[in-house]
Amino acid sequence: MIPVTYRASFSYLLRHPWQLALSFIGIGVGVAVIVAVDLANASARKAFLLSMDAITGAATHQIIGGPRGVPEDVYTRLRVEHGIVSIAPIIEGTIESDNTSLTLLGIDLFAEQQVRSFTGEARSDDQVASSDESLFTDFLITPGVVTASERTASQFGLRVGDRFEITADGRQQTAELVALFADDSGALDQVIVADIATVQEWLGRTGWLSRIDVRIPDGDDTALVALESALPDGTQLLSASGRTRSTAEMSQAFMTNLSAMSLLALLVGLFLIFNSVNFSVLQRRKLIGVLRALGLTRRQLLSMILVEAGVLGALAAVVGVILGIALGEQLLDLVSRTINNLYFRVSVSNVSIETFSIVKGLIAGVGAALVAAAFPALEATSYQPRLALTRSSLEHRARNAVPKVTLIGLVLMVAAAVLILVSGNNLVAGLAAVFLLILGFALCVPLFVKFSSALIAPLADRLGGISMRMAVAGVASSLSRTGVAIVALAVAVSATIGVSIMVDSFRGSVSEWLEQTLQADVYTGVQRGAMDAALIQAIRNLDGVEDLSTRKRAWIEDANGRTQLRVFDMPPESYVGAELLDADPAEAWPAWEANDAVFVSEPYAYQNDVGAGSTITLPTDHGPRSFAVAARFQSYDINASGIMMSRATYARHYDDDSVDSLGLYLVEGVEADTIVAALETLTENWQRLYIVSNASLRQASLRIFDQTFVITDILYWLTLAVAFIGILSAMLALQLERAREFATLRALGMTPTQVGGMITAQTGVIGLLSGLASVPLGIVMAWVLIKVINRRAFGWQIDMNISVDILAVSVGFAIGAALLAGLYPAWRAGQAQPAIAMREE
Amino acid sequence: MSDAPLEIQLKGLSRRFHEGAREHVVLDGVDLDIRRGETVALRGRSGSGKSTLLNLIAAIDAPDAGSVTVAGIDLTGLSERERTLFRREHIGFVYQSFNLVPTLNVADNVRLVLELNKVPPSQASTRINELLESVGLADRADSYPDVLSGGEQQRIAIARALAHEPAVLLADEPTGNLDDATAGSVLGLLDTLVRDSGHTMLIATHSQHVASHCDRVLELHNGRIAATAAR
Repeated sequence: MIPVTYRASFSYLLRHPWQLALSFIGIGVGVAVIVAVDLANASARKAFLLSMDAITGAATHQIIGGPRGVPEDVYTRLRVEHGIVSIAPIIEGTIESDNTSLTLLGIDLFAEQQVRSFTGEARSDDQVASSDESLFTDFLITPGVVTASERTASQFGLRVGDRFEITADGRQQTAELVALFADDSGALDQVIVADIATVQEWLGRTGWLSRIDVRIPDGDDTALVALESALPDGTQLLSASGRTRSTAEMSQAFMTNLSAMSLLALLVGLFLIFNSVNFSVLQRRKLIGVLRALGLTRRQLLSMILVEAGVLGALAAVVGVILGIALGEQLLDLVSRTINNLYFRVSVSNVSIETFSIVKGLIAGVGAALVAAAFPALEATSYQPRLALTRSSLEHRARNAVPKVTLIGLVLMVAAAVLILVSGNNLVAGLAAVFLLILGFALCVPLFVKFSSALIAPLADRLGGISMRMAVAGVASSLSRTGVAIVALAVAVSATIGVSIMVDSFRGSVSEWLEQTLQADVYTGVQRGAMDAALIQAIRNLDGVEDLSTRKRAWIEDANGRTQLRVFDMPPESYVGAELLDADPAEAWPAWEANDAVFVSEPYAYQNDVGAGSTITLPTDHGPRSFAVAARFQSYDINASGIMMSRATYARHYDDDSVDSLGLYLVEGVEADTIVAALETLTENWQRLYIVSNASLRQASLRIFDQTFVITDILYWLTLAVAFIGILSAMLALQLERAREFATLRALGMTPTQVGGMITAQTGVIGLLSGLASVPLGIVMAWVLIKVINRRAFGWQIDMNISVDILAVSVGFAIGAALLAGLYPAWRAGQAQPAIAMREE
Repeated sequence: MSDAPLEIQLKGLSRRFHEGAREHVVLDGVDLDIRRGETVALRGRSGSGKSTLLNLIAAIDAPDAGSVTVAGIDLTGLSERERTLFRREHIGFVYQSFNLVPTLNVADNVRLVLELNKVPPSQASTRINELLESVGLADRADSYPDVLSGGEQQRIAIARALAHEPAVLLADEPTGNLDDATAGSVLGLLDTLVRDSGHTMLIATHSQHVASHCDRVLELHNGRIAATAAR
């Protein structure tokens, strides 16, 4: 049986269903955004880890080599000369089929039992009854045969015996599906398995392996030492789980940033919940006074309000979790697309529902409701029995609290600044500083509202008479109601300003950087793999091509993780394409060309604390070698791993002469389109290349940039939606609170239009003040995002550019959103029955 | 007084309210004439229909049957907007709980009705000063309602009710929230101001004392005017 005091309290909520509904939506949307982002991130990460685990199988370690991989004879020597049998060679690459990228695994079936089981479990229907040997035979004697999981085959509409086209290393190949293996987990979705020789041929890597998987029993240090001593220069033995982890961690900063955006939605939701609970407590001050008079203790009252908020929070959080799962499905596509574009290939079709994410969402919802309810609950317990606070004394209290609240806000902002200064390059501390800054600023907003509405009021009087003045004065005189709504909208709009300025500045910097970097007239190359050497020569000989630069992207790896080498052979005229940040180009370039000197990208320099004059050690085909850093160069790569190396230096240290792309410099007067057409003709039956003009490449780069921020856009629109609900809720609550006042105005002769107009003007003022308050916070937030968060997460050096358009649109948006949210309350206020004024309470 | 023109005329006035299937007849064929300058007390038990009658005269509510004519205007058939404009111009209200606008100071509470009636600002200021002077609160013009006592708030409410020179002043238990001494002083003020300005006033009240200040006392019972008494 619910105690009657609780029933009295709950029945109030039930009799104000819109208020209940809006609180519900506020908590629910906040929780949904958190759960959705968390699930999308966790699902992508889990899919990647599952896939890596499945492919790694029972391997505990992996032998890796330089950019080309491990020479095949290393495997043979280890097995034959050293008698090490728990090893399996593997070659891995990415291919395309039906416009979808797939992982291609080349394996040696004989060695597989030591490491992986799925590769040997593949069956075709007629093989079930026969022996495993038929698959072995197929793999060995039939070129182009592959196996795949049942799910993958089904996704591509393939059946055993089907032949299908794939593109590997820019060349078209025909594969035949000979068998399927079971994989219910989906970890091996979009993975094709073939014999090692077939894959080497398809990828143009005959004689090379991607790695050798090794299984060493836990604690068998002797075997580990023996294996390590048997390895030739240029190869290393690394822990398999460590490699997987370090690859997964590449996307950590991106995921952390997304999580922070989702927390922002909850923070705005928190204001909203505070608003709702605050209203519901304030509006029941008479009931609370009576209950206190009847003997309810302060503790009982406190627990009554907190239980109510907790129940509301729990119910809304459950709905939020359900919404979050649905939203997570949508976000997953965007998250995995971004991860695929920027980090590593991940195939994930369904959001996996993680208990931890759900629990986190539920705790966030209930916790937010309790925190938000705690302050009004404590306030309510201070009411004297039967002396329920009057509106005026409530507002008086609210006004008196403004200086104290502002002071706390200032302290929080100072704490944020200190945290930024002392936290080095810690990303989480940077994000914590952002939240402290937002909270601190939010607490200063009521003071701003108080003073600015006092300033605007005389102007409003002159423009629209006493009703306009009432509208403006009402904002400040109802601070206990309007303050929180203004704060919620201001925080949400400032987030849009901050993020918009950041994205705009970033885009501007990237655009300028592309302008400078892309010096060639036409670019061509393969997405993955190497260009055919004869084709490069043929391109060099094309009429209209004056000169060309070559590029090779090579990944090198050691126990500290992976580093991308960008190897260039380019004419000195194109040096201007790389902006050197800390060295004289006249000295740096000759050192880069002739000596063992490299340039490091700005993100790499930031993350590794190196620059011109430093020395870095890189794994080479001849073991670890030291390289002088000749300069830092401007770069917006996402992996903080870019090192620029000259072809000559690369050739001295790596046994790899492959090239993956070319930059063509055309004879003056030759149109880029002419060469693009010539290249298309030349390569048509040779090797499939991408061929783009300078302008197209720049556009395509910016298009990918914009796609990357789609998810950010979605998150801040959701944040704004929460704030919009906050304004609607505040205005409806205010309208309920002031029903008698509006009825009196109607009785005195104000028309519904005049009363509604007054409310509309008031919400317009709320929007204006929110918009104006959001500008300084938005600019500061942009600065922190650019100079602290992006710097710490990605090492990017972005020039901040404040566009007046963004500020004007945001303030306009705040006014528009508030006016929109005020329409219904204005209409309702206009319907106030004058008879209410006659009725006594 | 008997020569004065009729200010309020009610004919066969009926008003019913429904609560589920049940029907409450609050007013049942009320006929009443009140002449200009007359002050009338309306008495009756709680729920006898006093406030409903005031609402009908103020055009806040519309009758189910019968007619209401105030200041020569037949309220029957007026649209919502027309009723609002009628109320704005011709009716002044004094409520039991004052109903001052909390976000406006004393002067602006009075100014509100003048502005609604489009009185030029300079004339409005003069009128406000006169009224605040007459209710003895000229020095509180800048104060907000929440710092005033109940008696002071009601004085401001009276000033507001009379500011635009309405044809009819309607007061619903105007002293109901005040102590005896304050009630006496407020009532005296109301009486003086209304009689000096020649307004017609209808007061709904339980109080014999309040009723004794009026020219006529009407007793509402079972939805009808059961008795009248002249002072």
